[in-house]
Amino acid sequence: MSEKPGLPQEEVTLQTIKELGQAEVAQVSPEVETQPFHCLTIIGQIEGHMVLPPRNKTTKYEHVIPQLVAIEQNPKIKGLLVVLNTVGGDIEAGLAIAEMLKTMSTPTVSLVLGGGHSIGAPIAVAADYSVISATATMTIHPIRLSGLVIGVPQTYEYLDKMQDRVIRFIVEHSRVSTEVLRDMMFRTGELVRDVGTVLVGEEAVRVGLINEVGGVGTALSRLSQMVSQRSVEGVQ
Amino acid sequence: MLYTVVPIDDVLEGMEEEPAPTMELIVGGVLMELEPQGDFQAKVVRIISSDPQDYLASQHQPGSIVRWT
Repeated sequence: MSEKPGLPQEEVTLQTIKELGQAEVAQVSPEVETQPFHCLTIIGQIEGHMVLPPRNKTTKYEHVIPQLVAIEQNPKIKGLLVVLNTVGGDIEAGLAIAEMLKTMSTPTVSLVLGGGHSIGAPIAVAADYSVISATATMTIHPIRLSGLVIGVPQTYEYLDKMQDRVIRFIVEHSRVSTEVLRDMMFRTGELVRDVGTVLVGEEAVRVGLINEVGGVGTALSRLSQMVSQRSVEGVQ
Repeated sequence: MLYTVVPIDDVLEGMEEEPAPTMELIVGGVLMELEPQGDFQAKVVRIISSDPQDYLASQHQPGSIVRWT
């Protein structure tokens, strides 16, 4: 429940009951409106067309996408910080979030904390600027056949096509080349019983996936810089 | 289709269990899908609204509890 400045919580509740006959009121809280930066956290599994069992911690795309629209639409929100700590998830939902981020005019900065694995990688590179913390990891690996795809001869081709979508997006929105990305994706000896590469902090910057190693301070100062640059451009 | 580092068996664990029953209710002018949690309170599952600003309201985030009288 949002609090109106200068009014104790009970009074606000009483007031809303009196005025609207209910205690909960749908409104963007005053603090939200005055905060120039919003923070969106992408955690756990990115949930797509299928509701995952409650044991998974999930980021729901049907909620995140309208939030991104709201942020883009609201002139009081000057910038968006996307904090990632995700193990991957639904390809289409992940790419949908990434495409939304990419096409926003509001300045965006992503911060990979902990992990930005699998489909987390395109989301991280979709922001205007990306930051990774020194200990965070990103796993680049091929899309695997899961029990959700029926094993027909077309499957391999289909998987390949899905993989190309992810590769193309990452390559288009970061400094990494297709060759380097493919090489990392199919590298052997790096992961236990699997192909792929784990990039830790600095390594993600070195291969060109992420812009800078840093933390929340780095990400926010970059965002402020982008916002002020944008307002200068707007004046001209 | 999933692209994740978590083994698929771990992700789908508990998939057979029936999901908790939900209901739709307008709370504070916003239609939402709720999971009842006893008397006059419920957990928000998702918001059903075409107003994007509704999705930013902190009291309606999925997982939060809404109460009515």
